[in-house]
Amino acid sequence: MLLVFFSFQGKRAAKDEASQVRVWIVGLGLIFPMVVLAALLAYGLVVGERLLPREGANVVSVHAQARRWEWTFTYDDASEQETKGTLHIPAGRPVNVAITTTDVIHSFWVPRLAGKLDAIPGRTNILRIEADSPGTYEGTSAEFSGAGYDGFTFQVIAHDPTQWDAFLKGELNEGS
Amino acid sequence: MKALERHRKLTAIWASEPGIRGWFSTVNHTDLGRMFLVTAFFCFMVGGLLSMLIRAQLATPHSAFAGPEIYNQIFTMHGTIMMFLFAIPTFEGLAIYLLPKMLGTRDLAFPRLTAYGYWCYFFGGAMLIFSMLFGIAPDGGWFMYPPLSNAIYSPGINTDFWLIGITFVEISAIAAAVELTVSILKYRAPGMSLDKMPIFAWYALVTALMILTGFPPLILGSVLLEVERVFGLPFFQADLGGDSLLWQHLFWLFGHPEVYIIFLPAAGIVSTVLPVMCRTTLLGHGWIIAAAVALAFLSFGLWVHHMFTTGIPHMGLAFFSAASTLVAVPTGVQIFAWIGTMWKGRPELHLPMLHILGFFVTFVIGGLTGVMVAVVPFDWQAHDTAFITAHLHYVLFGGFVFPIFAGVYYWLPHFTGRRRFFHLGELAFALVFIGFHVTFLAMHWVGLLGQRRRISTYAPEDGWTTINLISSIGSFILAIGIAMILIDVILHALTASRGRRNPWRASTLEWAMMTPAPAYNVASLPHISSRDPLADDPDLAVRLARGKGYLGDPGKGWRETLTVDIASGRPDMHVIYPANTRLPILMSAVTGVFFLSLLLKFYWTVPLAILGVAALAWKWVWGLGLRDDPGMQPIGHGIELPNAAAVERSPGWWGTVFLLTANATFFGSLLFGFAFLWTVAPGWPPPVWFAASPFALSIGLFGALIGPIAMRLAVRKNRRGGSAVPAFVVAFLAALVLTISCSTMMLRTPAPSDHAYGATLFVLGGYGVFHAALAALMICFLVARVLHGFTSPARRAELPIVGLWVDYASIIGVIVLISGHLPGLVL
Amino acid sequence: MKDLLRILIAPLMWLALFSAVYGLHGLLCNLGITSTALGFPLPRILLVVAYVIAIALQGMLLLLLYHPRIAARSPFVRHVSHVTGWTGLVATGWTLLPVVLMSNCT
Repeated sequence: MLLVFFSFQGKRAAKDEASQVRVWIVGLGLIFPMVVLAALLAYGLVVGERLLPREGANVVSVHAQARRWEWTFTYDDASEQETKGTLHIPAGRPVNVAITTTDVIHSFWVPRLAGKLDAIPGRTNILRIEADSPGTYEGTSAEFSGAGYDGFTFQVIAHDPTQWDAFLKGELNEGS
Repeated sequence: MKALERHRKLTAIWASEPGIRGWFSTVNHTDLGRMFLVTAFFCFMVGGLLSMLIRAQLATPHSAFAGPEIYNQIFTMHGTIMMFLFAIPTFEGLAIYLLPKMLGTRDLAFPRLTAYGYWCYFFGGAMLIFSMLFGIAPDGGWFMYPPLSNAIYSPGINTDFWLIGITFVEISAIAAAVELTVSILKYRAPGMSLDKMPIFAWYALVTALMILTGFPPLILGSVLLEVERVFGLPFFQADLGGDSLLWQHLFWLFGHPEVYIIFLPAAGIVSTVLPVMCRTTLLGHGWIIAAAVALAFLSFGLWVHHMFTTGIPHMGLAFFSAASTLVAVPTGVQIFAWIGTMWKGRPELHLPMLHILGFFVTFVIGGLTGVMVAVVPFDWQAHDTAFITAHLHYVLFGGFVFPIFAGVYYWLPHFTGRRRFFHLGELAFALVFIGFHVTFLAMHWVGLLGQRRRISTYAPEDGWTTINLISSIGSFILAIGIAMILIDVILHALTASRGRRNPWRASTLEWAMMTPAPAYNVASLPHISSRDPLADDPDLAVRLARGKGYLGDPGKGWRETLTVDIASGRPDMHVIYPANTRLPILMSAVTGVFFLSLLLKFYWTVPLAILGVAALAWKWVWGLGLRDDPGMQPIGHGIELPNAAAVERSPGWWGTVFLLTANATFFGSLLFGFAFLWTVAPGWPPPVWFAASPFALSIGLFGALIGPIAMRLAVRKNRRGGSAVPAFVVAFLAALVLTISCSTMMLRTPAPSDHAYGATLFVLGGYGVFHAALAALMICFLVARVLHGFTSPARRAELPIVGLWVDYASIIGVIVLISGHLPGLVL
Repeated sequence: MKDLLRILIAPLMWLALFSAVYGLHGLLCNLGITSTALGFPLPRILLVVAYVIAIALQGMLLLLLYHPRIAARSPFVRHVSHVTGWTGLVATGWTLLPVVLMSNCT
C-alpha cells in the first residue's frame, strides 16, 4: 500500500528496465512471497498434524448422527445412553467424535473445542475434540441443509470425572 | 477513393439492419459485445437488488422480512446471477467488443456463433430470472450440494431451473471461448506476432482456454444430477453406489478455476489501463504473461481446498494447501509488476486510475485472507462462516468489479465517442469504496465471531446485532454508489459533447478508429511492427482510413478479412464472413425449446427440438460453401492469399479443435467420475457386472478403426480429383456400426437405476452413441456437399473438419466400449 | 501452435503429475495397504518414488526447453517458456512435498 502511495511522489532518477524487473518482479514478486508462504504453510501443516485423531489409551469414543434438523449422540462407554441435541463428554480427556448422517450433508462444529468436520452420506468422519475444563459449549451444524438450517444447533457439556461416571451409569439428572 | 466514400461503401457492406430488427439479425461483434455488456449489467443490478434484500434481512435479529424458504432462494439466486449471468458474460461482452479492434481486424472468427452464444445466454438467463419472479427459484445454495439438491430433499422444480438454466447459459460460455481462442490465435493484423500481441489479448486467450477446460466438469455434473433427479440414476446416492462427494469434486473442479476465469480478464484490464494512466509501458511484459499462464494452471490444482472439512486424509489436504499458498506467488508477481509500472511512470489520477487503486487495496486484502484460509487448521474454523463470504467478496468485487469499472470508464469514450461532462464518477467511486469496505470488513469480523453463512436470522444474544447493522448500512452506501455510476454512465451516453479520438493517448489499436466504432472497425488492416503501434505512429488511424493498409478495397461487396500464422503473424488465409441472419436467434430459440421441454417434462417435444437443432445446424453450415474455386485473393501490397475454403486448416478446423478440447475435458471428467466412484465411493463393488459380449465389442472396435482410415482415403481421393463418395460410404457404415455397438452397451447395462455402476455405463454408452451418430450425420452432409458440387480438389476445407469428428468419435468409442466390456471379461 | 505449446507444456505437466500423485494417494488409502518394505510402509515408498519421478520429469522438460534445438526461435516465447518451465518444476517440488512430510491416510 505504501509502495502504491509513494509512486505518486516526486520522480527518482530513471533506472534501466532490467534492474527494475529484478527488484520488482524477482525480488518482491517471487522471493518475498515464497519465503513468507513457505513458513506459513509449514506452520499450518504442523498444527494440522497435531490436531489429527490419533490412537491413545485415554481416548473416549462417541458417535454423532445428524439428520434434518437434530443431532443424536451415542456413547461407546455406555451403550444404553442416547442423547438428542446434547453431547456429554468428560473434560480434560481427548474425545473422538464419529460423525455420520442419515440424510443430507451436515457439519459438526463446536467453535471453542475444534474446527468443523462434515457428515457425509455413506461415510464416517472422525473429529478429535477436547474440553480443558467442565462447562457447556455451544455447537452448530455448519453446512447449509435447507429450511430448518437457522436453528440447527446443539450443546456439548463437559463433565468432571465424577459427573462423567454418573452420566455413564445413567444417574446424571438433567439440569445438574 | 476518398476516406468518406470508402466509409460509406464499407458501412453498406457491414452494417446491421436498421432499428430494432437489427438486434435480432446482427452478427457484428460490436453490436453483440454491447448487447452482452448491457444484459450483463442488467443482471448485475438484479443480483445487487437481491444482495440488498439479504442485508435487509440480516440487519436486525429475528428479522421477519423473509422466511427461510424465500431467503434461501434470494441468496442462491444472488450467487448464481453474479457468477453465471454477470461476471462471465461481462468478460465475454468486453472481449467480444474489444478484441477484433485491439488485434486490428474486422470481426471475430465465427460471427454467427457470437450471436448464437448471446441468445443462449439471453434465453437461459431469462429462464432463471423468471423462475425468481414466480417464487420457484433454486434454493439449495449456489453450489447445489446433493443430496440436499436431489429429488428426495428438493422435490420441487426449483433445482431443475438451476441445472437446466445454467447448462443453457454455459453453451454461450463455451461458444464464446472457442470463438475467442480462434480469433486471438488467427484473426490478427498482419505482422502481429505473439510477442506484439496486446496484453489484454493474452489474458483473454488464457481465460478462454480456461473456460474450455474448466466449464465441462460443471456441465457434466449438472447433466448427471439432472438425470439423477428425473430418471433416478443414482450418481450421488451413497446407498446405491453413488457418492455425494463426486458432485463436490466436479463442482469445484469447475468452481476454483472459475474464480480465476473471473479475475484474469480483470487483470488484463488493469495491465492495459494502468500503463496508459502512468504514461509508460508495462513492466515485465513477458513475466506477466508467464504469471497469467501459471495462475491458470495452478488454479486447476486447488479445487479440494473448498472441501477441507469433508474428511479427506490430511496428506491429501496438504497437497491442496500447498498449491493454494503457491498460487499467491504468480498473483504477487503481477501485483508487484503493476506497482513497479507505477514507479516507472508518472501516475495521473483519472477516474479509471481511482478504480484501479480501489482494486489494489481490496484485492490485496482478499489475497491475504485467501492465504489465511489456505492454511488447513484455520479453514476448519472459518469454513462456511461469514468470514468466507467476506473473503470471496473481497476477491471477486476487488478483483473483478473495480477493474471492470476502471475498464468501463476507460473505454466509455470509445463506446460513445463522447467526453465526460458530469463528474459524478469520483463521488460514486468514494461511496462504492467506503460502502464496500464497511460492509465486508464487518462481515469478516462477524464471521470470526461464529456467524455461519446462509442463515436467515439470528438471536440478539448471539452478539452480532451491531456488526450486522453496520454491515447493512455499508451495503446501502455501496448500492447508492453503484446507482450513481449507472446514472453517470447513462448521462454520459445521452448528453456529453463529442470527444476527440484517443482521449487517453493510448498505444493500442482499438483507438485507431472512429468512435463510436464503425461496423467494419478499420477501413484497411494495419501492418504491425511493435507492441505499441499507436505510440510509434500517431497518424496510423488516418492512413488506415485512407485505405493504405491491407484489404482497403470494398469493391467486391464482401465482408472480408484475413488470418495470420499463429506464431509469426504472417498472413495466411483470406476469409469472407457470412452476413446478417436470423439463424442464430432461431437456433438458440429451438435449443431453448429443448431445455424447456426437459424442465417442464414435456418429453414428446424433446426429440422434435433435437431434430430442429440438427436441421438448423445443417442449414447453418450449408450456407457457407462456394460453387466455384475461389482462386488466390489479392489483399493489397502485392500479397495474394488462398481463400479459407481452399486450405487444409480452415478457421472451422481450428474451431473444431478447440471445441473438441472442451468436449474431451467433458469426457475426461466422466471417466474421472467413473474411476472415483469405483475406488472411493462406499457401496462398491456393484451387485452384478456388465455381461461382456466379445462380438459387440469387436464389431465396435472394428468400426472405430475403419472410420478414420476411410476418412483419410476420402481426403486423399478428393485432393487428387477423384470421387470421395465410396470412401464416405465406408466411413458412414463404420460410424453406424460403432453407433450400434455403443447402443447395445447402453441397453444391456445392468439396471441403471439400481446402482451407480450401471448408471455410469449407461451415460458412457449414451455419450458414445451421440458422437458416433453425429459423425455419421456429418458424413451424410459431406456426401450431399459433393453431390451438389461444393467440393473440388481446391475447395477441400470441409473434409478434414469432419475427419476430426470421426477421429474423436472413434477414440472415445474405443474407450467407452473397453471400459464397459473389460471388467466383465477380466473379473 | 508449437510456440503456444512450449509456453503451456510445463504447467500442464505439473497438473497431470499433481493429479496423478493425488489419485495415487487416494487409491492407496482406499485400498488400505499396510505392508512394509525395507522397514518403511509400502504406500509411503510408492508415493516418494512417484514424487522423485515427477521432479525428474519436470527437470528434464526444463532442460529440453533450454535445449537450442527445441527452444523457440522468438526470444519472447523463449523467455516466457523458461519462466513457465521453472514454474512447473517449482510447483512440483512445492505442492507434492507433503508426501515426504505428512502422515498418511488420517
